[in-house]
Amino acid sequence: MVVLMTRTSTVLFTIAALTGVVAGTTGASLSARLQQKAQVVDIVVERFSFTPSEFHVPAGMPVEIRLRSDDTDHGFRIVGTNVNVTIPKRGKGIATVIFQPPAAGKYVFECSKLCGAGHEFMRGQIIAE
Amino acid sequence: MLHSKALTSISRLIIGAGIGALLLAALPTRSAAQTADGSTPPERTTAISGYMDFHFNKQELSDGRLDFHRFVLLVSHRFSDRIRFVSELEVEHALVESLEESGELELEQAYVDFLFSRRFNIRAGMMLMPVGIINERHEPPIYYGVERPFVDTFIIPTTWFDVGVGVHGELGRGWRYRAYISSPLDALEFSAQEGLANGRQKGSDTNIGRPATTGRVEYVGVRGLTVAASFWTGRSGFRFRPRFEVPVKLGEADVRYSRDRLELRAQYAQVAISNADELNDALGRAVGINPNVASALRGFYAEAGYRVVSGRSFGDVGVFARYENFDTQFRMPAGHLPLKEFDRDAGVFGFTYWPDPDVAVKFDYSAIRNQSRVNRALNSFNIGLGWWF
Repeated sequence: MVVLMTRTSTVLFTIAALTGVVAGTTGASLSARLQQKAQVVDIVVERFSFTPSEFHVPAGMPVEIRLRSDDTDHGFRIVGTNVNVTIPKRGKGIATVIFQPPAAGKYVFECSKLCGAGHEFMRGQIIAE
Repeated sequence: MLHSKALTSISRLIIGAGIGALLLAALPTRSAAQTADGSTPPERTTAISGYMDFHFNKQELSDGRLDFHRFVLLVSHRFSDRIRFVSELEVEHALVESLEESGELELEQAYVDFLFSRRFNIRAGMMLMPVGIINERHEPPIYYGVERPFVDTFIIPTTWFDVGVGVHGELGRGWRYRAYISSPLDALEFSAQEGLANGRQKGSDTNIGRPATTGRVEYVGVRGLTVAASFWTGRSGFRFRPRFEVPVKLGEADVRYSRDRLELRAQYAQVAISNADELNDALGRAVGINPNVASALRGFYAEAGYRVVSGRSFGDVGVFARYENFDTQFRMPAGHLPLKEFDRDAGVFGFTYWPDPDVAVKFDYSAIRNQSRVNRALNSFNIGLGWWF
């Protein structure tokens, strides 16, 4: 299950269900439940890196990923999932993703918005174990 | 500096690994995430971005000049999650005419990335040399000053790009690397004032008889901090007949730290040109004057910037100061005296106003000194408008 939020003015968007693990749950109640349990990871994004670019989470448990840009707007896409959000420009707010890895494994993420000459170096991974 | 045999081995290793890995490129992605139920097929997307740089420069003893310095378009395409294309096409100084020096149309990047894993990926095509802070990170809103640092102009010849193939990846815990082989510099175009800059082959029907090797290691594991070292080495005498070797080695280290309103940068670069005496003799015979190419070039700078206004509705304002020392005549071959006018240092200070994080209005003053008692360096006042979209 994936919940995406852009916290420019604490606006909450429930965008997509990735795995169907909690099928039938409404977006609002699901996000509330995930927020109670989620591990929180803060990521600072700038040309051309995510910091941290690698972190560990328990498989099957939700993780709340908060993304803040220090320069332009970037994208955050977890390869092979429906997660693909825009990270606002510096000073324009943060993007929050709640991601529940469906199984143990490595989940590659990347910048999905062309952001400069070194855009393709912007990759990282979530290790679910 | 790396030994030439070791570099040859590195080149062979890169080529061998490349061929094997390219065969793997056609294989489907196998990570758990991409095979899980609910995964989405790879998207084919094309994106366009770019940046522009519009300058006013007023140098002492000269009239002011207004120049649309750079108009750059980036086009990228994702064939799949494994295969990507990125390009960067630049028009410099607005106007390009055949056989004129009014401007340049340059293909600065046009490569395909074959992405295999976080640790190992292959890149081929026109690539930026991974040397220094500015060469791979040169969008106008993200550096202070109207013009790029002098060290990144006279010692590291940014924008430095050429054709080749290489590998890159992230090793974990914040360590990243890239290693490429590419076309070498052309020593026939080296000069006392500009150093290596005019020797770039720029991917245009290049000589690749003896490929150059370049690489960079970066540590980005601490928020806001980038510490890096890079090198470039190649043999640049291929246009001389009879041919003789002009080995060129460049070593560089840089550090960048930014946190909240503060940004600090420092960079050191040094170039060694072997057989510079023979090079000067050959160039002198070819063009009729002694070009006085040095056997070593050196430059370094330190910069501090601080956003005195941040987070306001009308934008941010940052002030900065930079000290640079750059000498394209740092060491001379036997029998040649350095031209002191090219032993320079500069104090550059000014401010940037960002009405938007992607739009920068820049003002600076460059106070330049040299060691010559005859030719004085000229200071300049500069205004720039740069933007990214």
